[in-house]
Amino acid sequence: MSATTVGAERRRGSLMAFAYLVPALVVFAVFIFWPLGKSVLLSVQGTDIIGNPSGFVGFVNYTKLFSDPDFLQVLWVTFAFTVLTVFPSIAIALVIALLLQSRIRAVRFFRTAFALPFAFSVATASVIFGVLYNPASGVLNGLLSYIGVDKVQWLTDPDLAIWSVAAATVWMQLGYNLLVISAGLGALPEDVLEAARLDGASGLRLQRSIVMPLITPQLFFLVVVGTIHALQSFGQIKILTVGGPQGTTTTLVYSIYEQAFANNNSNYGYASAQAMVLLLIVLAITAVQFGVLERKVFYR
Amino acid sequence: MFSSSRGTNRLRYAVPAGVASLSLLLAACGGDSSGGEASGAPAAGALDKASGVTTVSFWHAMDGKNAEVLTKLVSDFNAAHQGKIEVKATYAGKYDDAITKYKAAIQSKSTPDVIQIYDIGTQFMIDAKQTVPMQSFIDRDKLNVGDLQPNITGYYSVDKKLNSMPFNTSMPVMYYNKTLFKKAGLDPEKPPTNLDEIRTAAEKLSKKKGGPADYGFGAAIYGWLLEQFIATSGSEYCDQGNGRDGKATKVQFDQGAAIDVVTWWQKMVKDGLAANTGRDTKAAQAAFKSGQLAINLESTGQLGGYSEAAKQGGWELGAANYPHVKAGETGGPIIGGASLWINGVGHKDANKEAAWQFVKFLSEPKSQATWHTGTGYFPNSKGALNEPVDVEYRKNNPLFDVAVKQLEGTELTKATQGCLLGVMPQARKASEDGIEAALNGGDPQQSMTKAAQGLEAQIKSYNDSVK
Repeated sequence: MSATTVGAERRRGSLMAFAYLVPALVVFAVFIFWPLGKSVLLSVQGTDIIGNPSGFVGFVNYTKLFSDPDFLQVLWVTFAFTVLTVFPSIAIALVIALLLQSRIRAVRFFRTAFALPFAFSVATASVIFGVLYNPASGVLNGLLSYIGVDKVQWLTDPDLAIWSVAAATVWMQLGYNLLVISAGLGALPEDVLEAARLDGASGLRLQRSIVMPLITPQLFFLVVVGTIHALQSFGQIKILTVGGPQGTTTTLVYSIYEQAFANNNSNYGYASAQAMVLLLIVLAITAVQFGVLERKVFYR
Repeated sequence: MFSSSRGTNRLRYAVPAGVASLSLLLAACGGDSSGGEASGAPAAGALDKASGVTTVSFWHAMDGKNAEVLTKLVSDFNAAHQGKIEVKATYAGKYDDAITKYKAAIQSKSTPDVIQIYDIGTQFMIDAKQTVPMQSFIDRDKLNVGDLQPNITGYYSVDKKLNSMPFNTSMPVMYYNKTLFKKAGLDPEKPPTNLDEIRTAAEKLSKKKGGPADYGFGAAIYGWLLEQFIATSGSEYCDQGNGRDGKATKVQFDQGAAIDVVTWWQKMVKDGLAANTGRDTKAAQAAFKSGQLAINLESTGQLGGYSEAAKQGGWELGAANYPHVKAGETGGPIIGGASLWINGVGHKDANKEAAWQFVKFLSEPKSQATWHTGTGYFPNSKGALNEPVDVEYRKNNPLFDVAVKQLEGTELTKATQGCLLGVMPQARKASEDGIEAALNGGDPQQSMTKAAQGLEAQIKSYNDSVK
C-alpha cells in the first residue's frame, strides 16, 4: 500500500468520524450553544414590557444583581437546598442499599418498593407531598394530632419550609440513588470480598474498608449529578411553596423563573444575568468536585 | 419551561450549562417588536365581504368545569353562525401563563383574535397596543351597554371608554360557619361587618379562648384580599387616582387602611385567633371546609365548593358582605376576574368583526346566565338575573344574592374601580411578601414599606418603557 492511499484512508476515516458526530453536534449547537450565546447577549440588554430586548445596557443587570440584598439570600438558599438534598439522599440510599444486600425474603419486592420514587415525576410527587403537608387536612398533622402535637406549619413557617421541601426532594431522589448504588454493589468482585472475609473482616469493618472504597465511583457520580440536579430544582418549589415564605425557598432557578415568566414579568435581561451566575456556579462546583473529590475515587 | 419531568432532568446532567439560558431564549427569540398602533373597529359589514368561513382563534385561561361551560358556549355560537364564523378555543394555561404566551405571540406576530386576560393585566394590555378598544365597536354599532353592570365595566374602563369586554367576574365575600357561630353563642344572622367585630367574634370562636373552632378567622395571604380592604375603606391602592387620572407612580399599601389591616391580622395570628395558612389559597379553603376556621374571606367562585363541603360536613354556611376596615365605612369591594380583548395588530378586518360578534354573544344575558349558573362566576349582564335558569339557580343558592346585593350597593368610585398599574401582578405579589413578613412576626409598617419601596424601581422602568 502506498503512502498516499494511507493518507487518503486516514482522511476518509476522520471524515467518517466527523460525519458520525454531526447529528449530536447539531443538536448541541441548536439547543445548547446557540441559546447559551443568546443568553449571554440578553444578559447585557434591557427588556421592554413585552419581552423584546430594548438595547445594550452593559453590565447594569449584573451590578443590579449583586447590589440586591435579596440575591444574597437566593444564593444562600440555593446552597442550603443543595446540601440538604444531595447528601441525605445519598446517605439514606446507601444505608437502604446495604441493608438490601442481605439475603432476606422478598428482597426483590423491597428493592422495587424503595426504587419506586424514581418512577414519579417531580410534579406528581410534589402534589402528593403538598397533600401530606397541608396544615389543615394533611396526613402529617393528622398523625401528629394523635400524639398530641400541635399543628406544624410545614410549608408556611419560614424556618421550616426549606426543610420540608428538601425532605420531599430527598424522597424523590432516593429511588434513583438507590438504583445506582445497588448496581454498584451488585457488581462488586466476589474474589475481593472473599479475600477480605478470609482475612477476618466482617460486618461494619468489611463495609467500611472494602465495600465503600469499591463503590466510590458510584458515590462520586451521584454527588456530581445530584448537585447539578439540586441546583436546577424547580418543580417542587413551584408546586409546594412558590418560593416562599419570605423567599426562604427561592432558589436561583426559581428566581430566574420569577424574573422571566411569573407575575407578568418579562425581565429576560435580568433573568439571563442570573442564569449566567447559575452557569458559573454549576461549572465551578463541578470543576471542584472533579479536581478534589475524584482523587479519592477508586476506579477499578 | 423548566421542565419538571424527571426524564428531561436526566438528560440535562450531560449538559447542565446551557439549560437555564435555553428557556429564556425560547421566550426571547421570537423576533423584533411588532409595534404599531392598533386601529379602531373596522367598518360595519367587514364580515359580509369575507368569503367562506372566518376562523376566530380564542385563547382562554379556563380549566375544569369552567372550560366545559365555555366550550358549550363556543359551540352554541358556532352552531348559530355555521358557514360564516368558526371560533376555535384553546386553553392557554392559567392567567399568568396565558399572558406570558401572549407576549411571545406578540413577538412572533401570531396573537389570537380574542384573548382572555386577568383583571390585573389590564394596564399592560393597554400599553402593549395590540388590541382594538371595545368602545370603538360599541360606538360604531351604537350598542346600548346599559345591560352590563356598571361596577364591572368600570374596572375595565379608562376615561369612561371600555377597553375590553368583561367575561368572568368574581367578587370577594365573607364566608362564615353558622353552626360554629351558634356553638360559640353568637348570633348566626348577625355576622361581623368590620375588623373589630371579626376579632370580637373570633375571641368567642377560637379554641385558644375555649371556642368551638381551631381558629375564629383565617384567610390566605392573597394580595387580592388586601386590595379589597383598601377599597372598602374608600382608599386608593395606587396614586394618580388609582391610576385612573394618569400613570400611577407608586403603590399606597404602605399607609392608612392597609397598615390597619396588616397590624390587625398580625395580632390575630399572634393571639391564636387566626390561622396563618400561607399564600396557597387552597390551604385556607381546606381549613374552612373542614370546619377548622369559622370565618374566611374568599371569592364568590368558592360558593359551590363551600356549599358542598357544608352539606357533607353537616354544618350551615353563611355569606356576608366583605368586611370594612373600620365601623362607619361605606365603600364596597372591587370586582375581579378576567376580560376579553380583541387583537387588532396583524388581524384582518373580517377577523376583528367576527371576534366582536363572538365577544358580544358572550356578554348577552342568555350566555351570561349559562356562564353564571354553570360556573358560579358573577353575571356581567343585569338581564341575566332575570333568565329562568338564573332565577332557579339563585333559588337553590340563596347565598349568591349576598354578592348581587353587595355589587349593586357598591358605589362606583376610583377606590372601587381598582388600581390600574402596569406592574399590578408584581404589586400584588409584593404586597403578599409584606403581609407574609408581618404575619411571621415582622413589624407591619416596616414590612409593607419595604414591599412598596421594592416596587418603585419596577414601576419606574415600566412607565419609562411605555412612554
